[in-house]
Amino acid sequence: MPTTAFSHTVEDAVSNGRTPTRRTVDVVDVRELTPGVVRLTFRDEFTAANVKPAQFVNLYSSNPQHLMPRPFGVSDVDGDRVSLIFAVVGYGTDEFAHLKAGDRVDVLGPLGRPFDLRKDADYLLVGGGLGIPPLLEAAQALAGRDDCRAIAVLGYRDAHFADVYAARYADEVHSIDESEGNVLTLLERLWPELQESGRELIILSCGPTPMMKAVAEWASRRGVDAQLSMEQRMGCGYGTCVACTIDTRDGREKVCEAGPVFTAHQLGWDNK
Amino acid sequence: MNIEQELNETPTSVYAPHEWRHGTVVAGVPWKNPVGTASGTFNAYACGQFYDVSQMGSVTTKGVSPVEWLGNPGVRTAESPAGTVNAVGLQNPGVDHYLAHDLPYLKDLGATVIANVAGHCDDDYAQVVEKLAESDADMLEINVSCPNVTHGGMSVGTDPVALAKLMDRLRPMTDKPMIVKLTPNVTDIAAIARAAVEGGADCLSMINTLVGMRIDIRTGEPIIANRTGGVSGPAVFPVGLACVWRVRAALPDIPIIGIGGIDSGEKALEYLYAGANAVEVGGAALYDPTAPIRVALELEELLDSRPELTEKLAKGDTWR
Ligand SMILES: Cc1cc2nc3c(=O)[nH]c(=O)nc-3n(C[C@H](O)[C@H](O)[C@H](O)COP(=O)(O)OP(=O)(O)OC[C@H]3O[C@@H](n4cnc5c(N)ncnc54)[C@H](O)[C@@H]3O)c2cc1C
Ligand SMILES: Cc1cc2nc3c(=O)[nH]c(=O)nc-3n(C[C@H](O)[C@H](O)[C@H](O)COP(=O)(O)O)c2cc1C
Ligand code: FES
Repeated sequence: MPTTAFSHTVEDAVSNGRTPTRRTVDVVDVRELTPGVVRLTFRDEFTAANVKPAQFVNLYSSNPQHLMPRPFGVSDVDGDRVSLIFAVVGYGTDEFAHLKAGDRVDVLGPLGRPFDLRKDADYLLVGGGLGIPPLLEAAQALAGRDDCRAIAVLGYRDAHFADVYAARYADEVHSIDESEGNVLTLLERLWPELQESGRELIILSCGPTPMMKAVAEWASRRGVDAQLSMEQRMGCGYGTCVACTIDTRDGREKVCEAGPVFTAHQLGWDNK
Repeated sequence: MNIEQELNETPTSVYAPHEWRHGTVVAGVPWKNPVGTASGTFNAYACGQFYDVSQMGSVTTKGVSPVEWLGNPGVRTAESPAGTVNAVGLQNPGVDHYLAHDLPYLKDLGATVIANVAGHCDDDYAQVVEKLAESDADMLEINVSCPNVTHGGMSVGTDPVALAKLMDRLRPMTDKPMIVKLTPNVTDIAAIARAAVEGGADCLSMINTLVGMRIDIRTGEPIIANRTGGVSGPAVFPVGLACVWRVRAALPDIPIIGIGGIDSGEKALEYLYAGANAVEVGGAALYDPTAPIRVALELEELLDSRPELTEKLAKGDTWR
């Protein structure tokens, strides 16, 4: 990004009633959880204080050839520290994976519409692979609520890289990898017990689209409401370019602004 | 001297209200400063959360069509070297929604508003211009240069005869200053520019995006669902600059808004020296939300030491 002599600090934005723009933050930790999957932690008071589960932040490459935003769900917050978990899949994620404590990186956020956690209920956090990070944040948010339970149902290709983070906040963690089945296998296994509790169940899900669709249909058949966190390639991440649309029952909506969270009904995945 | 050295101790905030020192005049319309936002990269509500959009020289809104358009299916965007390729396809809620929401919202804020007009055919353009003719929009920009729609758009902007025919129809419909937005996807941009001016354009803006694409080497297929899209960003900066230069050489008196790859006050200044009356910041806002206001502030510092240029701009004249 071109350097500028004009002030654009977070304090400046807040005191003028504006949302803080893209800014440079300190990286405090980068670690590989399993080959090709990295947890990156940076220090940003504004994001830490304001982010809600399923909201995301944009990271930006320091290479001016690669200008587009890289959106990542926030996985957890600790004081002013914000963590993301991502897979190395291309130029930007490779660059971020090679950052070290003491390096700096540009961020924007938090962005998007979060999961709706207003109801007191048992929340089933159904995540697949790199869709798991926003569910960790949901577990963290629910951990402080006496009247809610967070039951993590996590599916992996192989290494169960996020179980240890889920266990910090969730009341129960169930996980599975492809050698044994998928999240639907787990949901079927858990269903009798979940029904017995008699409490309202709400599914929060993030992962590959076919997985979320199957989860939404499973939930619909059982009368359980589901909220799904969607992905689309983004041009800006904050609602200005109309690049990130998906088709919903409400029309063609921006994933970065109307989403990333949509209900199964909005997506037409509830067989209604 | 660079911008940093020209600044005093307390740096100006991109968020705070500002007294602008160097205005410009574009086709008779005064702008607070010579920097606007480009169409399709500016949304009143999304951008307005980050900065006071009424501080811009002008804001150009997303192309509006007679009725709601859904645009192209996703994926609509891909990264390209120092830029992006997009094929949004002019998704917008239609001119009635625009007149009821975005336009009054922006005028209430005190913004100078350019309404960007989209169409698939001459009738579409005419219907939108008719509705905007008596509106509060300060200027109309006829987008005959979008590469992402199959009819209208660039097919008009690459054909001087079709453009002249469209302008014959639109010109008598309104007294509002009418800008024609030009595409760089032509052999001789000056010929198209001449057709627009002969058809009654009060001003020209350039450039819209260049046709481009990206292919995913894992699948061998285009990344964007529309296959091709429009390239914007720093990569197109020298292209836009040369277009302004050539049109200025061919048409010494027509007001020009320079667009393409502007992400700093220095690049904006290059456009002014090429003969533009004003500039617009487009894609830079996608990866830096406050880029438009920052560019305006940076340009202002640069103009402080260029009185010969600012005197011309203030009168509606240009460097060249
Ligand atoms: C709301 C949201 C939340 C996300 N959260 C996570 C997360 O928590 N963990 C995680 O591993 N990944 C997440 N992703 C996907 C992540 O954004 C991409 O993997 C990443 O942008 C790839 O960047 P790259 O530079 O390595 O890839 P490149 O292919 O080099 O990127 C080129 C461009 O394509 C875009 N792009 C490429 N793949 C994707 C993709 N799958 N989705 C969206 N944009 C893409 C990039 O952002 C960039 O603009 C999320 C995506 C979205 C939309
Ligand atoms: C996502 C996107 C959407 C755009 N939509 C429009 C549009 O609706 N109407 C229009 O005239 N130009 C549109 N443009 C073109 C820009 O206004 C501008 O002419 C072009 O991007 C070059 O400037 P830049 O390099 O600063 O982005 C769009 C560009 C982008 C990147
Ligand atoms: S990514 Fe630009 S509007 Fe959603």
